[in-house]
Amino acid sequence: MADRAMPRGRFSVREQRGFTTVAILCFVMLYAPMLTLVIYSFNDGDSIAVWEGFSWRWYEIAFNNREIRQATVRSLQVASFATVVSTITATMAALATTRTPSYRGLTFVYALVNQPLMVPEIVTAVALLVFFAIVKVFTGYTGMGYLLAAHTAFCIPFAYMPIRARLEDMSLTLEQAAADLYATPWRTFRHVTLPLLLPGILAGGMLAFVISLDDVVITLFVAGPGQDTLPLYVIGQLRRIVTPEMNAVSSLFLLVSALLVTLFFFLSRRRK
Amino acid sequence: MKRPIIGVAAAAGLLLFAGPAAAEGELNIFNWGNYTNPKLIEKFEQTHHVKVTLSDYDSNDSMLAKIKAGGHGYDIVVPSDYMVKIMIGEGLLLETRPNQMSNFKNLSKQWAGVYFDEGRNYSVPWQWGTTGVTVNTKTYGGDINTWAMVFDPPEELKGKINVVPEMNDVMNAALFYKGFPYCNSNREQLKEVSDMLVAAKKDWLSMEYGNVERFGKEDIHAGVNWNGASMRARLSNPAVAYGYPKEGIGTWMDNVVVLKDAKNIENAKLFQNFIMDPENAAMISDFAKYANAIDGSEKFLPAEFAQAPEIKAPSWYKPVFVPPCPQEVNELYTKIWTNLMK
Repeated sequence: MADRAMPRGRFSVREQRGFTTVAILCFVMLYAPMLTLVIYSFNDGDSIAVWEGFSWRWYEIAFNNREIRQATVRSLQVASFATVVSTITATMAALATTRTPSYRGLTFVYALVNQPLMVPEIVTAVALLVFFAIVKVFTGYTGMGYLLAAHTAFCIPFAYMPIRARLEDMSLTLEQAAADLYATPWRTFRHVTLPLLLPGILAGGMLAFVISLDDVVITLFVAGPGQDTLPLYVIGQLRRIVTPEMNAVSSLFLLVSALLVTLFFFLSRRRK
Repeated sequence: MKRPIIGVAAAAGLLLFAGPAAAEGELNIFNWGNYTNPKLIEKFEQTHHVKVTLSDYDSNDSMLAKIKAGGHGYDIVVPSDYMVKIMIGEGLLLETRPNQMSNFKNLSKQWAGVYFDEGRNYSVPWQWGTTGVTVNTKTYGGDINTWAMVFDPPEELKGKINVVPEMNDVMNAALFYKGFPYCNSNREQLKEVSDMLVAAKKDWLSMEYGNVERFGKEDIHAGVNWNGASMRARLSNPAVAYGYPKEGIGTWMDNVVVLKDAKNIENAKLFQNFIMDPENAAMISDFAKYANAIDGSEKFLPAEFAQAPEIKAPSWYKPVFVPPCPQEVNELYTKIWTNLMK
């Protein structure tokens, strides 16, 4: 016991019995299905369960599928728009909730910004369906605007959290120093706050992008004619014959998400 | 010839803004995912100079929710049999009178007088299929056109049966086998059905989906199954056959209907007439691999598909469309089912 540097009585999860087993089990549960999905996307046969040799065949089929191409482009368009707008909004919201003296109603503002996290997605979806239906009948407009607005709205809290966390970590001294040196509030923001905040903003934007890309429930209820996103397309396939084409599409999707999350990870590490 | 250029420009403009607006020469179709042959759409676009936008849904219920809310922008949806009835009842569908259309003569007599749309005043069939039995005929050589294959199996099939875990399909099959009416709330009859299912389960190997490969590899030799899945199993193992139980066989049919608040009604009617043309109906079946209801379409399909025993039902086959049952019946079914799945 003497060689243990650990002070007596300190609790460590990693010292608990069975920790390794449970951890391994969790990782297997999380990653085994995904691994299977990716492996079978290279299957030469028509089945998603019987291995018949390696081939790129299903990737080729997926790339040549017009519906998949259109849905992918649409997903990327929606996600890009939602990311830009929600990140800007979230940055402003974060500044307004951290860089001001505490005021009455601040808690209420937190709750308002984070509302999409608290309200079950299906409730938001049904509410949007009903509300947009009224607007659609009233205005006659059935374009992409509804989908873009909905995605932007639920992306805001995801973009907001890393930005706010970054702002709270940042000491006020630099901004105060800039102000002491007669920098205008705008110049202070532009040359001091924003560069320091940038990793948080990028991380928030990336999170918003992935969240928008993944969304099913709200999109399902809000999408109008010709507005199917890639996840909606995939859901639509499941009721019929599922071929490794779906594995190929899902694998590519997984790759994009993984790349973004990795990038997010490195950006958030840089701020340390 | 200026019109096509304007059309192309308009289409390009629509793509740019990615939002279809209500204008001439458009049609918005809302159909099940992976169910519509892109070639059929291209042909319709070229024949009638209409720009078609196709969107997918994954269940009758989510489709109904969107349509009922209003302001959806769709012209055509493809509900299943009972859902046509519900939508007519709710006043959501336009009476387009397909029975007066020029291609109605091609509609097979069998499908002209269905319960959910007597005389076809609203709907045109898209595709249909059945829930019957699949049996490996090498293992069992007798008559397979009976639900006895799973509920009172011959010695050769015992312990080699897979039943798809779909409550309604299995309950209906059991009621057909017993000769009881469907949507049944008669407790004595249901008790008999329950006892029969529990006793039969001892002879079943499993209750799982995804049985195509297992039939092919002869892991299982009989089971309650859908005709499309049974056909795919036969293609990998010729001994696999599909039986049409003479006690009654559940049938589903998806149908093309026009919505009352559609913006492109004339184009939607053109589409209804278009798919009753045998060559076009054949394109539907060729893509999604289910039967259509148009006489003469088999001429345009590969014989091994059009004449497949899973697709071409025997002459004595009588379809039974089972509507969703009342809540009270569902609760009774669920109790039996829960007990069975224990």
